[in-house]
Amino acid sequence: MAQTIQERSVPVSGMTCASCVAHVERALKELPGISSVIVSLATNKAALKYDPAQVSLADIRRAVDDAGYTVPSDELVLDVRGMTCASCVAHVEGALNELPGVLKASVNLGIGTAHVQYVAGMVTGNQMKRAVHEVGYEALERGAAAAADAVDRERTARQDEIRRQGRNLIIAAGVGLVVMIGTFYDMLGPFKAIVPVFLSYKWVIGLLTTPIVLGPGRQFFTNSWRGLKHGVTDMNLLYATGIGAAYGIAVINTLFPTAGFGGEGATFFESAALLTAFIVLGRWLEALTRGRTSEAIRKLMKLQPKVAHVLRAGQEIVLPADEVEVGDLILVRPGEGIPVDGNVVEGYSAVDESMLTGESLPVEKKTGDAVIGGTLNKTGAFKFRATKVGKETALAQIIKLVEDAQASKAPIQKLADWVAGHFILGVHVLAVLVFIFWFFAGYRAFFNPGSSFILSPYKLGEIGVFGFSLLLSVTVLVISCPCAVGLATPSAMMAGTGKAAEYGVLFKGAEAIEYASQLQAIVFDKTGTLTRGEPSVTDVVAPGGKAAELLRLAAIAERNSEHPLGEAIVREALARGLDLADADVFDSIPGRGIVARAEGKAILLGNRKLMRDHNIDFSSLMPQAEQLEADGKTAMFIAVDQTPAGLVAVADTLKEFSAEAVERLHRMGLEVVMITGDNRRTAEAIARQVGIDRVLAEVLPQDKANEVKKLQAPGRKVAMVGDGVNDAPALAQAEVGIAIGSGTDVAKETGDVILIKDDIRDVVVAIEVAKATMRKVRQNLFWAFVYNTLGIPLAAGLFYPLVSVIISPELAGLLMAVSSVTVTLNTLLLKGFMPSIRHSGGRSLQKAGGLQPAHLPGNAV
Amino acid sequence: MEKQIARRSASIYVPIALSTGVLFALAANLVGGYPLVAKLGGAVWVGLLSLIVSMPLVTARVKKHWQGR
Repeated sequence: MAQTIQERSVPVSGMTCASCVAHVERALKELPGISSVIVSLATNKAALKYDPAQVSLADIRRAVDDAGYTVPSDELVLDVRGMTCASCVAHVEGALNELPGVLKASVNLGIGTAHVQYVAGMVTGNQMKRAVHEVGYEALERGAAAAADAVDRERTARQDEIRRQGRNLIIAAGVGLVVMIGTFYDMLGPFKAIVPVFLSYKWVIGLLTTPIVLGPGRQFFTNSWRGLKHGVTDMNLLYATGIGAAYGIAVINTLFPTAGFGGEGATFFESAALLTAFIVLGRWLEALTRGRTSEAIRKLMKLQPKVAHVLRAGQEIVLPADEVEVGDLILVRPGEGIPVDGNVVEGYSAVDESMLTGESLPVEKKTGDAVIGGTLNKTGAFKFRATKVGKETALAQIIKLVEDAQASKAPIQKLADWVAGHFILGVHVLAVLVFIFWFFAGYRAFFNPGSSFILSPYKLGEIGVFGFSLLLSVTVLVISCPCAVGLATPSAMMAGTGKAAEYGVLFKGAEAIEYASQLQAIVFDKTGTLTRGEPSVTDVVAPGGKAAELLRLAAIAERNSEHPLGEAIVREALARGLDLADADVFDSIPGRGIVARAEGKAILLGNRKLMRDHNIDFSSLMPQAEQLEADGKTAMFIAVDQTPAGLVAVADTLKEFSAEAVERLHRMGLEVVMITGDNRRTAEAIARQVGIDRVLAEVLPQDKANEVKKLQAPGRKVAMVGDGVNDAPALAQAEVGIAIGSGTDVAKETGDVILIKDDIRDVVVAIEVAKATMRKVRQNLFWAFVYNTLGIPLAAGLFYPLVSVIISPELAGLLMAVSSVTVTLNTLLLKGFMPSIRHSGGRSLQKAGGLQPAHLPGNAV
Repeated sequence: MEKQIARRSASIYVPIALSTGVLFALAANLVGGYPLVAKLGGAVWVGLLSLIVSMPLVTARVKKHWQGR
């Protein structure tokens, strides 16, 4: 039996750091039938490739649960109508259980319900209803709340986490402040009068600290215990050992001051209380800011209108957008969102496509034009026929692409994850070494009773060898948390891919961003990429000065022609508003041109051979003809009534912004190369116009990949820009394949980067976003590593012999929180990034027509 | 299987942690001059950290070995 590999993105909650990512990945990789696992901390998702014959979603969920994390699941009750027997139950259960994301479906025939347990975000209620409908029954969802979609669910989960940590913070910070006041009662000076003295009693401070440790701090103990039971360690363990040790010693010293742990002078209740408060502060800020880096994807998701006005049997009915079917006729009124993809069949309007393409001006839509689901109708009303619904719509494909990119890992991130994943064990080893050093050597040699904590007047005083060594050991554990290292890359990648999507640039993976930032050369396919890919009239040479008349006669003669050059002439004449009559006689001579008669004149239009055949002497215009040909244009000779009348030159013309894009790429220090199957003369002429100095001409499509390979040979990173169809091998060979002008059928495109609009300057945008993102990654990693590199020696007491101060565990907790938040805030600065084209105002507003149907699926020219 | 792996792993990492703690206490005894509580506290702390370090390493090894059989 053929093996079917499924790709699924499973939500995982409870992960807080890169180490958690490593644990979940390891737990999933150990399952049979799993061929690929990529877990992302930023998206809280595990992207899986697995064989459902060997492993089920329930197994996957169990493995994640066993590792100490959870796959959030939900339950939905459907009222099922039409069931009559046990066989119906089996049908309905089978249909539901086959849906990806459904963990378990159980149907009760007696009361006609189906209880479905499913992974939140992987399957919707509508999909379940459709599955039941497909096997011949009707299903209705119980309760409107159950219909909340994945976006709402994700937002709700994040808000719950923010609320939970906020509540913890209020308790920990509020009570912790009282603990602090009580601890430093002796130093309050005149304020002593307003603080009750009992607050300074050790047992009162202990009583106040206990609810902090057992309340807001409990999460660290339970999470680390869950992990330890399965042999995994994570950030929570660092906190748990830190808080636990500080609290435990404080309790012993309070209850048994003569036990030898440092006595009453070493009751660090405030350490346990404030350490908890600062760690919770870090968690709260992280939950608050982490959601903001993924705003782009949420914005995209929100674009999908909830309902559609469908015309069925002449009646307008309002349906949920995901129940629209291909072929449905849909009415869109001014100000309404377009629910799915389709083609306009009636009406005229202007549609705002900026949310998908980044273009600011509304695009005209008339009969035959394609409309994209998720865009906004501005002025008129129109009807369109749905061509793509559900997961097939451009918006769904874009969302999937951005999600996949955000879930993928750049090479730099894999290294950071590996470091962070192994860091925790290393830190515990270090904590043992620090303890042993200070216990056996350091304390005796360097301890000074007059020494204190940094930023604290509190003297270490009578603390014993064990208390002192333990303090330093605990501080090392707390300060070493590699949260910032774990967050540095994914948060920036998430913000970068989102930012790029805002400008209509879709990165298919984090690797593409990393490579795009390192490019040294960029290869452009000529036809359809730098040029329009269709001939246009470039010159009209009329010795008598009547260029318009010459063009008009040429167009009349060519009006019945189907030759691309003839069509170009007719198009140009029509564009200039010339009045074109029909030719009386028209004859096409293959390989020569055409012979026509119109308005009583005999018109010859074609190449040299045609003129030679008719004995017409064009020697006076030959220098101009040769010059036009030297410029890569096709010169067509026109004779009227056996007399040379002039020349019309036709060529594949440059796209509007090709030269500007190439110039900007040159300014970025990239070598720009053009590759084409055209002859060298034409290729060089185009290259001259666009400003490219290296041309690879007469290259067959199958050899383009080899040419890219040659450019890569000196170890250079090369990007290939093409139309994504016939350039596929070259796009695949390049480090970064950029498919341009691919309209909205993004998922089918080859290439690592998809440019939604047919604007070549988006290549510049893609590279600029990639560079900005990687800059942010490097900055984040730098600060994260600097924090740990400086923090650990300080915490370990390396400088204590010189300065006689140490970091307290609570200060270490604060520094740890600050490092994570700094990294996330630094990433958020990417939100303000604007490509240079936008800065300089170089991007002209989109012309009417904008994203032309030619660039949309099914309409490719 | 999970239970067997856990039991087998524990039979390795617990003795490792205990021995480390005992070794610490012996070393402290040899060096001399430490109060009993400090020696005991130190042994517990070092033993606990050793447990934390050895637990995932041993469990992963045992799991690998078990699945390879």
